[in-house]
Amino acid sequence: MSVKYIPVQWNPNKWVYDAVMLAGVAAFLWVFLYLTPGALSHEWPINPQIHNARAFGACAFVMLTVILCIGPAARLDKRFLPLLYNRRHFGVMTAFVALTHAGYILNWYFAFSSSDKYVGLLYANSSFGQIAGFPFEIFGIFALVCLLILAATSHDFWLKFLTPPVWKRLHYLIYAAYFSVAAHVSLGILQDQQNHVFTVLFLVGAGAVIVLHLAAWMQERSEAAAKDGAWAEVARINDFREGYAKIAKLATGDRVAVYLMEGKLSAISNACAHQNGPLGEGKIIDCLVTCPWHGFQYDVRNGRSPAPFTEKVPTYRVRLMGDMVEVHPDANPPGTYVEPVALPEPEPDLPEEGATA
Amino acid sequence: MSEKPFFVGYLPAPGPLRTFLLTACILLIAGLGGAGFLMGAAQDDPGPGAFRFDYGRQTVTGVVEVTPYPVIHVTEGNDRIKPGDSFMMTAGGKSGVDGRAMPLNGQLAQVSGTVLERGDLYMMQLRGGRNGIQAVEGDAPDITPEPQGRWKLAGEICDGKCLAGAMRPGRGLAHKACANLCLLGDVPPIFVSTQPVLGEEFLLVVGPDGTRLPREAYDHVAQFITAEGEITKHGDLLVWEIDMDTIEVTE
Ligand code: HEM
Ligand code: FES
Repeated sequence: MSVKYIPVQWNPNKWVYDAVMLAGVAAFLWVFLYLTPGALSHEWPINPQIHNARAFGACAFVMLTVILCIGPAARLDKRFLPLLYNRRHFGVMTAFVALTHAGYILNWYFAFSSSDKYVGLLYANSSFGQIAGFPFEIFGIFALVCLLILAATSHDFWLKFLTPPVWKRLHYLIYAAYFSVAAHVSLGILQDQQNHVFTVLFLVGAGAVIVLHLAAWMQERSEAAAKDGAWAEVARINDFREGYAKIAKLATGDRVAVYLMEGKLSAISNACAHQNGPLGEGKIIDCLVTCPWHGFQYDVRNGRSPAPFTEKVPTYRVRLMGDMVEVHPDANPPGTYVEPVALPEPEPDLPEEGATA
Repeated sequence: MSEKPFFVGYLPAPGPLRTFLLTACILLIAGLGGAGFLMGAAQDDPGPGAFRFDYGRQTVTGVVEVTPYPVIHVTEGNDRIKPGDSFMMTAGGKSGVDGRAMPLNGQLAQVSGTVLERGDLYMMQLRGGRNGIQAVEGDAPDITPEPQGRWKLAGEICDGKCLAGAMRPGRGLAHKACANLCLLGDVPPIFVSTQPVLGEEFLLVVGPDGTRLPREAYDHVAQFITAEGEITKHGDLLVWEIDMDTIEVTE
């Protein structure tokens, strides 16, 4: 929740996150660059520029794979959520690693020629009509451009400027980048090499991304059991726990978080105004819904962040049908107050209505 | 009501979650290190080609022949390069020496530079300007190409310079764009035959009627192909005139 922008809002968890990520990247590169040449025992070594290019390219691929596994893993098991928390730094780092890969390639394979290296990159191989010998570099270029766009727009300023839904859609480019890298690798090095260990690792990585996404999607679908008709069922009264929410998926595809606070039900959008974090997976802290991703807070009755913050999320109407809690699928404008609906038997010793907000 | 561990970005992680995350972090770092090792150790041998700076600068005299790629047939050698040897030449980087060699076609010249060597194949990267190649006085013996008939060969078209050791790896599909760039710069193309032909594994490959390898052939650079064409022997070098219509991709 920001009243002004500072480059990065640091806190101890972000330091730990970045330290772990950098340690992993450093381990990969160090082992690839300095340990494996000894293990390879080639009579004449691979040119250092190509060895470096391969190390950075492979590292960028592995990093992208990890990034894309974190999302569905966190949806399947909430304990992975903290890994999602600072994923943007991971993404920016990947863009730099990929850029280094491209730099080594460009300054080696495409250097030493009388033509400009960027021109050479684009025209040297024009065999677009074939699989073996396809100019696979083009997929690398596309992926790199995507990664650079994502890195450049990763800051909160862009999130605010583009609005979270647009920003989130833009950041789906990561999937385009991943497909493109997969094509880059499949048409490039996989066709060339004799040793197939890399092929196996590539398939395992890409397979993990696909399987995890499918699993998370199936779990959500079975949970959501989206209903049409005007009011949408959320859950039975007994399923609610004080301070926590139940999430309902509307026929429109939007999600609603219905919170039980002080014995009363209120419904707000599940998408946090910060980065679309899942508000329904957060909990109430000091009478405020707290987003599990970066801790933005909202008053559950009107969807507003407490002053001096100005974030707002849409609210929804709630009603009870017997012991079934239902929400109306039409969202109220962000920040609209909705009277909370009391449960039939309020729990006995509740504290007085909180005075925050 | 049992409290599930709940993480807020700016607060310390609660106990059980902390153990889980610690494990995840250690696995992540170890996994990345392990992947680095497996991927790094899976790289193919790039082959024995290399610049032989250790041989020192080589200077020999011979007859220049434009095939159309310039070749020299040695008449006066040194302790490494013997009279009767024939080899191809390139300039520094991805360029040939056509401009300098063409005017000397059929004449005696002295060439000087660094040898690139891969098994039986070698060529010379000439020094710049006249230091690299210059006419010398004397009678140039006639070089008569000896026809060897029409052959069907299987193998791969490469750029001769990277193959001979300017780059390791210097062949293969991942290297194709680089190879094309060399060929565009007039570096001589070489056909690496899967079976020895008349005792040779490497042949200079040219287009029809003494032309350069046509640009259409670039689609097949680094692919495994079969094709037919006339082989002629120039000095001790085999030159294969590839018949474009007979190219077939194997695999
Ligand atoms: C301008 C952009 C790019 C260019 C020109 C490019 C070019 C290349 C080339 C020529 C190779 C083959 C190198 C060799 O082994 O001889 C290669 C391999 C590879 N590239 Fe790229 N690339 C680009 C971007 C990317 C990006 C963005 C990624 C991943 C995020 C990537 C991942 C890889 C991987 C994993 C390999 C295989 C490395 C190995 O052999 O272990 N590349 N690239
Ligand atoms: S998404 Fe960042 S706090 Fe909710």
